Amino acid sequence: MNDETKKQINAKYERELQRGERFWPDSIFKDVVVSLGLFIVLVLLATFVGVENSPKADPSDTSYIPRPEWYFLFLFKFLALYGQIPVLGKIEWLATVLVPTIGIGLLTLLPFIDKSPWRYYTRRMLPLTVMGLIVIDMVLLTMMSDIPTVAEDGSKLLGLLQTTAGLIVPGLALIALFFMAYKRDENPVAPMLWTLGLAAVLMIGFTAVTLALAPPAEAEEAVASTLVDQITAGQDLYSVHCVECHGDDGKVTVIEGVEGLEGKEVSPINSRDVLYTLNDASMAEIINYGRPDAGMNPFGKAYNAEGLTKSEIDYIVLFMRYNWDDRFEKPVFKPLFPPLADGEVPSYDVHIAPMVKRYCVSCHRAGKENNEFVMTSYDEILTTGDNVDRNLVAGDETSYLLQVIQGHAILNEQGEEIIGVMPPKSTLKAEYIDAWIRWILNGMPQTAEDAAKLFVAPTPAP
Amino acid sequence: MWKKAYEWLDERLGLNAMYTNLLDRPEPRGNWWNTLGSASLFLFIIQGLTGIFLTVYYTPSPDHAYDSVQYIMNGVAFGWLIRGIHHWGASLMVIVVFIHLLRVFFTASFKYPRELTWLIGIGLLITTLGMGFTGYLLPWHQMAFWATTVGTQIAGTVPFVGEFILKALRGGPELSALTLQRFFAAHIWMLPAVLAGLIGVHLFLIIKHGESHYPSQDE
Repeated sequence: MNDETKKQINAKYERELQRGERFWPDSIFKDVVVSLGLFIVLVLLATFVGVENSPKADPSDTSYIPRPEWYFLFLFKFLALYGQIPVLGKIEWLATVLVPTIGIGLLTLLPFIDKSPWRYYTRRMLPLTVMGLIVIDMVLLTMMSDIPTVAEDGSKLLGLLQTTAGLIVPGLALIALFFMAYKRDENPVAPMLWTLGLAAVLMIGFTAVTLALAPPAEAEEAVASTLVDQITAGQDLYSVHCVECHGDDGKVTVIEGVEGLEGKEVSPINSRDVLYTLNDASMAEIINYGRPDAGMNPFGKAYNAEGLTKSEIDYIVLFMRYNWDDRFEKPVFKPLFPPLADGEVPSYDVHIAPMVKRYCVSCHRAGKENNEFVMTSYDEILTTGDNVDRNLVAGDETSYLLQVIQGHAILNEQGEEIIGVMPPKSTLKAEYIDAWIRWILNGMPQTAEDAAKLFVAPTPAP
Repeated sequence: MWKKAYEWLDERLGLNAMYTNLLDRPEPRGNWWNTLGSASLFLFIIQGLTGIFLTVYYTPSPDHAYDSVQYIMNGVAFGWLIRGIHHWGASLMVIVVFIHLLRVFFTASFKYPRELTWLIGIGLLITTLGMGFTGYLLPWHQMAFWATTVGTQIAGTVPFVGEFILKALRGGPELSALTLQRFFAAHIWMLPAVLAGLIGVHLFLIIKHGESHYPSQDE
């Protein structure tokens, strides 16, 4: 750029300043309005959307599907699509290193690449259309980032659609734009805009088809975020994994009725000996790695891919602390289910499932001694067990299940006990037993809607 | 009384000179797109303030990072608000900085005499992304842990020096307490220092050359 052009540019800028505005207060006013608006948006987001929670980091849980921050998702998707290209796709660093480096490099050196003094939009069609294309592609790649390139049935259609939308169309459009900019004599404003528009429509179209064909995203399990939720989650986990040996109050000293550990002496885990001398981290490690010599099995993922995650172990520790450690004050808990009104029929989803999880599943799941009666789902409760035709009979007060939870063991004709009282070492609260009775007498509805249909308005007291 | 105090301060600080040099400047006619730079600065300041509050409770160790963040969310008065603003502010800052870049690109404001302002701006963009990358690991939850594992792996695919970069980022072959510690250091000391320095130069250049005007047909 020669001095003459520079002088012209500076003179032009002086003229613009003459007919311009003042920094204070004109420009500052707009700046303050926008900043204040952004601040309000932030406060609203923090208040009403909040921050998504995720379980504690667990290096041994390799099944976790990693996702970067959303503003890197387009690069992530680009990598995945690039990997589909034959031969070149196998050379990973081309996409991970070379392409981003070239991108950032071009952006950095922009003022030295585009040295022409022209600034008006129609005189800069190539940079403007190329940048437009790239920005559209970044947005679309971000939108497609969650969709797999290979469907579960092995079909590669989704991957092909995504590659078309994210790589092939923009690639072809890029070549066309460069071709037009350099091969035509007159300034091809309209053709270049048409190319960009057509490419954009095609890219958006293919993306829309991909999104429409994509399998619905699996709902992620909610993470317990409040202390009460975490303690409750811990209690549920404790009820499944720990109750058999340690009992529901943790004071067992000699294990009874557990195969392989019969008669083993353990320290009562609700005692001060344990709770005062072990900190949370130590308790978590004991649950994670076990103490084989002392009879404690490992429950973490270190030895078992199906084992408890770090967060789950932490919840159990929290449950123990807040229930048994007298230095901790237990927060107020919600009941297992909202109290039943007169004439209300309980449902599996709302009332029965939480009780089953807390008091039954520990033994009534696959691989335990339980007369083949598995209680991990609604269907299993109704269809499994050696005594399936007597366990739960709609409308029958003598259903085995109702008898045993009310303290009557089931005897066979010879007078031998075939089912003991349940739960074996404790009794259910009266309102829990009442819910079970109402549920079975009313035909065991599964959902809250089914149960609501069975509602019988109580006769008003005279 | 106030007038006297002002005159006393003006004599020592040069408030009047500051007013004429910094605030009472002529500017070309602008529009709302011109506010994105100051909005980025505003978000940087918000991130700085909320970040400082978060360090009061946050502990950068694998044993305590997750629990300290949980405590900020549940135990600390208005901790959820501070962290919520910091969390969303990060995303918003990336968006605003990027749109600012696009505005400058589309109006060709990077051309003479503002080439250096553009270079510094790219440095600011990269540092902002670096802040996002290092900050994402700090809550030490599953998303953070595995995203960083993959992110550092990608840096490790650079030919020849990849292995060195990977180890330098992680502080060893695996993601560990060292990784968390150095990401924390980068997030609260190194990158903000770079960012603040670059912002200073960026602002100086903007005041020196003035904001660019929107191009007219003859340019």
